[in-house]
Amino acid sequence: MIAEEPKTTSVYEREDLLTGCQAVSQGVRLADVDVIAAYPIRPYTEVMDALSKIIADGELDAEYIIADSEHSQFEIVKHAASVNARAFAGSSGTGWCYGFEALVVTATDRMPVLFLVGNRALDDPGAFGVEHNDAMAVRDMGWLLAWVTTPQEALEHVLIGYRIAEDKRVRMPMALAMDGAFLTHSQHMVKIPTAEAVRQFLPPYDLGDGRLHPDNPISIAPQVNEDWVMELRRQNWDAAKRARGVIKEAYNEFNAIFGERYTSPYFTEFMTEDADTILIGLGTVCAPGRTACRRLREKGEKVGFVSLRWFRPFPTLELRESLKRFKAVGVIDRDFAHGSPDDGGILMHEVRSALYPLKDRPAITNIITGLGGRDVSIEDCIRMYQIAQRSKTEDKLDDFVTWVGVRE
Amino acid sequence: MIKRVEINYRGIFQKNLGKKIGSDIVIIASRMGRIGFSNGRYSDSPERNGIPCKYFAFVSHDLSEEELEAECGAKLDIDQADISVVLDDTMVKGVEPWGWHGVRAINEKVQPGGTLLLSTKKTADELLQFIGKKPYQWNIATYEGDPSFGGLWVFRDDLTHERTLGAVAGIDPDIIGIEAVEDYLRYKNPKEPFRAEAARKAYDEVRASKRTVNPGEGIEWTHEIPVLPKWFEFMEGAAVPAVKRHFEMGPKGQSRNETFKRGTTKTQRPVVRFDICTKCTLCWLECPDECFDPTTDGLYDIAFEYCTGCGKCAQICPVQECIVMVDELQFADNSSPWEAYTQNRENYVEWAEKAKSKGRYIHPFVTGTGLESVQGEVVPLGGKRAAQTGKEG
Repeated sequence: MIAEEPKTTSVYEREDLLTGCQAVSQGVRLADVDVIAAYPIRPYTEVMDALSKIIADGELDAEYIIADSEHSQFEIVKHAASVNARAFAGSSGTGWCYGFEALVVTATDRMPVLFLVGNRALDDPGAFGVEHNDAMAVRDMGWLLAWVTTPQEALEHVLIGYRIAEDKRVRMPMALAMDGAFLTHSQHMVKIPTAEAVRQFLPPYDLGDGRLHPDNPISIAPQVNEDWVMELRRQNWDAAKRARGVIKEAYNEFNAIFGERYTSPYFTEFMTEDADTILIGLGTVCAPGRTACRRLREKGEKVGFVSLRWFRPFPTLELRESLKRFKAVGVIDRDFAHGSPDDGGILMHEVRSALYPLKDRPAITNIITGLGGRDVSIEDCIRMYQIAQRSKTEDKLDDFVTWVGVRE
Repeated sequence: MIKRVEINYRGIFQKNLGKKIGSDIVIIASRMGRIGFSNGRYSDSPERNGIPCKYFAFVSHDLSEEELEAECGAKLDIDQADISVVLDDTMVKGVEPWGWHGVRAINEKVQPGGTLLLSTKKTADELLQFIGKKPYQWNIATYEGDPSFGGLWVFRDDLTHERTLGAVAGIDPDIIGIEAVEDYLRYKNPKEPFRAEAARKAYDEVRASKRTVNPGEGIEWTHEIPVLPKWFEFMEGAAVPAVKRHFEMGPKGQSRNETFKRGTTKTQRPVVRFDICTKCTLCWLECPDECFDPTTDGLYDIAFEYCTGCGKCAQICPVQECIVMVDELQFADNSSPWEAYTQNRENYVEWAEKAKSKGRYIHPFVTGTGLESVQGEVVPLGGKRAAQTGKEG
């Protein structure tokens, strides 16, 4: 077969200084989204400010609907998706919770809407800082859920997100999670892809015979009972499993167009080649985490950092393969799970569960930190490494969970 | 090598200006082939009118984007600044963004050899009367400007933005270079060469005005950080006990929140002519922060630590020249004006008239053209009619 010349010599049209939210708005523009439902809540709100301007400037042709609440907001985009409109919405913290019913049914209706979750602490009392429990709330419901850590990554994951969510083998809504403040509001230089390059990567949204239309007589979500529910759940369960393969495909396709941006879709490893002890976390905690790792490496400590991107579907096999190499794993939770086994955080439970089948398991320890947007410093992360390192030599830790940064 | 710039600005009024300056520092550095990123201090948000806030810009020549982000990102505040820009010179009296900060020195983050860079019409010597001393050498530099106040969505187009960029280049070309600043401003505004010229002018001004501040130069500054309780030391259920109500006549006679005073919000402060006050009570009624204390002679004293400088009292007072807002820097401290007045009426009134003549500001509405410094009417002791009839009103 004769190799074809690439259609464009450059896949990026320009560079701009964008916050995480603004980068997502560019991704939404490039994905040629049809329907946007907006409702304000900090810190995700700026994406809607940015989109309203993009539409007003004629750069995107989309319906922009201001809902009366998050519940309506999420219902609007779910219905838009059901009539084959590519739809986008988002929220943060207590707002995300306000529309929870709608979030659940979006997944059970298998509607591939993409949401920006600007991670924010849950009320009460109102706080604006980052905490992951909001996005985590949908983890069991049949959602795609991923954390990004830079504005460039955020823009690209709007495209990657729609590609995976809309795939006929998947059909799951996607929550694109982004740390409030530290990513939503942090401005970085971002390369913006050309519309042509995006068109090559992202096919149009096509629900096929699943779309609501007068020429396609179907009903979506009629009442059922014990006769149907189990089978419906099994369908969703299978879709989530299939999503793992589709994720790999999507990144291969992305890399083929944009260059080797993502060698590993599920998580990125930093200085792990010969590491004894690693920390693993979600979101921007990787910033002080990696700096702490660098500083300790300069002193000869064999440490590394794993930044998890995909939380749902959870990359069980890949993570197990990677983490089994280490003697100690410190799991950083910027979330809480009060009263859970060993009172650990959400990520810890997932990681420990993934490692359970191994005959030789790394020692695990859990750190709860940074809640409500509290700073996680480089020194805090150095302390976390020390806690994790201790766990490998001791048989039983007095305190399996350490709260780093709480006043005590 | 990492360069850290913090931009101190007044919340809401200078929000867009602060962000624009921070963003443009990164964009210009990027055009020079450097790496940079910027962010605001997230905990400043939601901003209240005039509360001290910060925006940051980080620049490096040698680190990668990822390394710079790792070192400086995902944090609420910085520990050290190469340059600390001050967009409203009244912030030299101290900055208290939220209750857990205490009143902090404006130059707190200026590192050894770093620079406090102020947009001001005053001299560095005048401002140093308010600024805390440090145990090491640092620098101070000024460039001309009024506090440029705008509304929530825009900033006033009075060239403060352009001048600040030129000034930053004048302090440290390793952050941004003046040619790059001029080039960028010309590129963005090809029909308005005066913008690049304003930047160059501030650049020159700053290079001439910059001077070293020696260790021990400045005032004693005791920064008391409120001690917050440990997790087991306060009520459960996200509930807090209220400030107990207490009242007696006289200065600071009312119970107020002892921990968070908000007084550093103000860029201007009321001067009161107690001698011509008609005791109508409107100032006391209208003050949104309950700063007025009834006194035994029927007058109303002001608890200045709590005053946010909103100007409502000046607006509502029915007597001309009785309450006038003036530049915050006219006041050395927060002592009781009523006590000063009762101790020596003549001296007090003389001081009040001098304060009113020098630094009275009219802040126009958002669509206005800028800050006006207006000369008011001089009212003799006891009022105009008293001067004529010999009897006091």
